[in-house]
Amino acid sequence: MNLKAIPFKRSAKLLALLLTSMLIATVSAITYLQLTMSSTVAVYKSNVYFVIGSDDGTKGLTVTLDGTNTTATLTGLRAYPNASFTYSDPVKVRNNATAIPNPQIRLAPDVNPSANPEDFVYVKFLLNATAVGDRRWLNYTSNGSTWSNTGTTAWVTIPFSTQWSIAVITKATAGASENHSVTITIKVDVD
Amino acid sequence: MASGLLPEFFALLGIDLFLMLSLLTCLLDDRVPKAIPYIYQIAALVGYGHILVSKDFFTVFGEYMRFWYCFIYLLVSLANIVAVNIYFAAVKKQWTLAKVWSGAVSFPTILISIFFVSNYSYLQGVPFPLLLQIALVVAAIIMGTSVAIFLSPGALRNKFKEE
Repeated sequence: MNLKAIPFKRSAKLLALLLTSMLIATVSAITYLQLTMSSTVAVYKSNVYFVIGSDDGTKGLTVTLDGTNTTATLTGLRAYPNASFTYSDPVKVRNNATAIPNPQIRLAPDVNPSANPEDFVYVKFLLNATAVGDRRWLNYTSNGSTWSNTGTTAWVTIPFSTQWSIAVITKATAGASENHSVTITIKVDVD
Repeated sequence: MASGLLPEFFALLGIDLFLMLSLLTCLLDDRVPKAIPYIYQIAALVGYGHILVSKDFFTVFGEYMRFWYCFIYLLVSLANIVAVNIYFAAVKKQWTLAKVWSGAVSFPTILISIFFVSNYSYLQGVPFPLLLQIALVVAAIIMGTSVAIFLSPGALRNKFKEE
């Protein structure tokens, strides 16, 4: 086909079609590109969640979990003056997956306590892994006027179909006032 | 989903095929009805509508449904390419043009479409049977070689002069 032989009217028609074609192709490609860049995020049930431990209902302790078992509230924890008191199994963290990859977890401070530092010596949280080397401590200690903590722990891999307890150890000062309390919020990070 | 093709890619491919058809039929407007290039432009716009619908109802429509309406659109565009081919051969009796169209338009577009469909199905975990894949590659090689040999510019010029 000799393009020079194409009459002007036909050229104009071709040019118009070419321009609209380029427009349609470009707009379609851009829309497709936007589609590829959009992503959908679906909510899945977490494989790592809390399980109520065997200490629930003993030593004044009440453990409640939210509907998704991802928030555990421990009320009625006791601290005795000048004596260490241990809840060895108030709540557990469970990896309910049935295969690898195994997630990593760690303890991290969330809301630091501010109330009644004069009444407490420490409140310690222990992620009680099976292997001693995998255990992680998050300790809140009071110097009598302020609270401090040991900070976020190192990650530890929790195997699938495994649950570890989070122990709580408390101690009040010798001259602590009865019924004084402190609220501590910690997180269990999952990676 | 694995990074790869979205079902809308088939609609995009269909749009491009319709646009190509529109331009080619415009160039050959002494052999096809005058309205055909514009109809193909409208068909391409319909394809753009497909992608827009997918974009707006991305989460409502499942991938299965999106695949099928985009794939059917691609099939319609391929059917039009083949129909034009048949029109040149059967209605207009322009065998050389039909042969050129077959080698330069119909076969490559069908092969490209099959390639992308097989790629998509592979990513979805349903690969084409090995024998079919080999057959497609062999067909592509034979057709490509045949087009290069039999549709050379010199040979075509002589053929068109004869017609």
